[in-house]
Amino acid sequence: MLRKVSIAIGALLLVGLLAVGGCQLTQLKASQPSDNAKWEQIEEQTPAVDVDKKAIIDGGEFNKFFPVADGYERVYTQEKEGFAEAKIKQDGNTVAMVSVSDTASNPSAVNKYQNSQRSLAGYPLAEVGSTATSILVADRLQVKVLSRDSEFTPADREAWLEKFDLAGLSKLVN
Amino acid sequence: MSKSIYELVNELPQKNLTVFSLRSLDKILPGEWENIVGFENTIRQVTGESDAALIEQIGARAIQLYNDKSEGYQRAMWLYQTIDSTGRLLGQAALAGKVTENVPFLSIVNRLTPKPEKAQTIDLCTKLVTEIVAFCKINGIPGDSVGDFVKALGDYGGESLIRMAALVCFDGLIPLGPNFIKQTETVIGNLTPKDLDSNPAFKAVKEAIPGSKTDDQLTFIGSSFESVKDWMGDFVESKGITPQSVVANLKTFVDIADDKMDYFGAFLDISTNYYEHTGVQTLTRRLVERAIAEI
Repeated sequence: MLRKVSIAIGALLLVGLLAVGGCQLTQLKASQPSDNAKWEQIEEQTPAVDVDKKAIIDGGEFNKFFPVADGYERVYTQEKEGFAEAKIKQDGNTVAMVSVSDTASNPSAVNKYQNSQRSLAGYPLAEVGSTATSILVADRLQVKVLSRDSEFTPADREAWLEKFDLAGLSKLVN
Repeated sequence: MSKSIYELVNELPQKNLTVFSLRSLDKILPGEWENIVGFENTIRQVTGESDAALIEQIGARAIQLYNDKSEGYQRAMWLYQTIDSTGRLLGQAALAGKVTENVPFLSIVNRLTPKPEKAQTIDLCTKLVTEIVAFCKINGIPGDSVGDFVKALGDYGGESLIRMAALVCFDGLIPLGPNFIKQTETVIGNLTPKDLDSNPAFKAVKEAIPGSKTDDQLTFIGSSFESVKDWMGDFVESKGITPQSVVANLKTFVDIADDKMDYFGAFLDISTNYYEHTGVQTLTRRLVERAIAEI
């Protein structure tokens, strides 16, 4: 992996210059730190990851099925075992995050689809919280779109879910 | 056992010398960095969600991912912590109890020793390489092409961009002066593996730097610096930054005398841990982004 870094480093942060000029300014307010005790309890109730890592599809396999659209820029942000994610930017602002994850690495994620009343492109659909819409492809791959701008609506999320190459993704699951 | 991710982010200070010095960069990058502390607060800010049960679910997955050593997050945290720790013990002793008031730089100046140029240059380059390795530990190598990867690296914002700005200002301009890029190139060109092996910052993170021998690691460091020097130069030029302007912004909380610039670099080195502070913030943000996508 680091060899690849070594090669790619050729332009490291050159694009960062663009980011300096055009990156979205985050207006966030500070608040009090939370209590460690609460999270310690949650940690105790959360089992350690106990899955066969070899069976998990590598995140890099998902990249080529990611959507793109005129007027938007796609910036891949993470690629880990069983997970790939990209930002969708418009005029330099992040409007959404799009991702594919292999639920083999987090099996409880499929529970929410079991009683799903809705579907999209033939796959069960779930909405979580106020920012997330996702579908479960081939009973295993979770494709999710998260709004990062108030103008990116649930309807936009569904439209972007359909922009993925869902048929291509489903073929990754044997 | 090392600290949990929630402990690390809950315990980030809201006010200390590191935070003051990072805030001084707001004049260069207005509004870019807000000191977000607290695990739950970070989840709310990053996701825009407010439902308590959902926040706990996201937090639980983030904790689970962080605790899985094979995911690389703990290694990235170790890098951010280790690279900052080499000069800090002395600083903590000298500055005990003096972090919320005007910092009496002149009163401790006699305890400071400016680093020789070679050592400072190695520190600068080692921090840069640390950033690259930590980036890969946290994010993998996103995308299918070199172009995708470069885009991912270039998409720095918020605390990551401030960390890079601090590197340029506090580890480049202040200790090495306005010609720090040229100087660094010259010094790297003459470095030997022995020079690297005797540098405390390099020694501390050596095991994580690509290359099986110090010689290879030196090559990696050289090519890393070569690839970012243009960005650094453009950053300094486009923002009109000089050592004097960086120091002027810091003067609101430290009583610096202009003729003690050399010593001020040493002062920042021992009194701040901006890599660790912003590294915790970057890592938590990425974990949360992944966690909400995976649950």
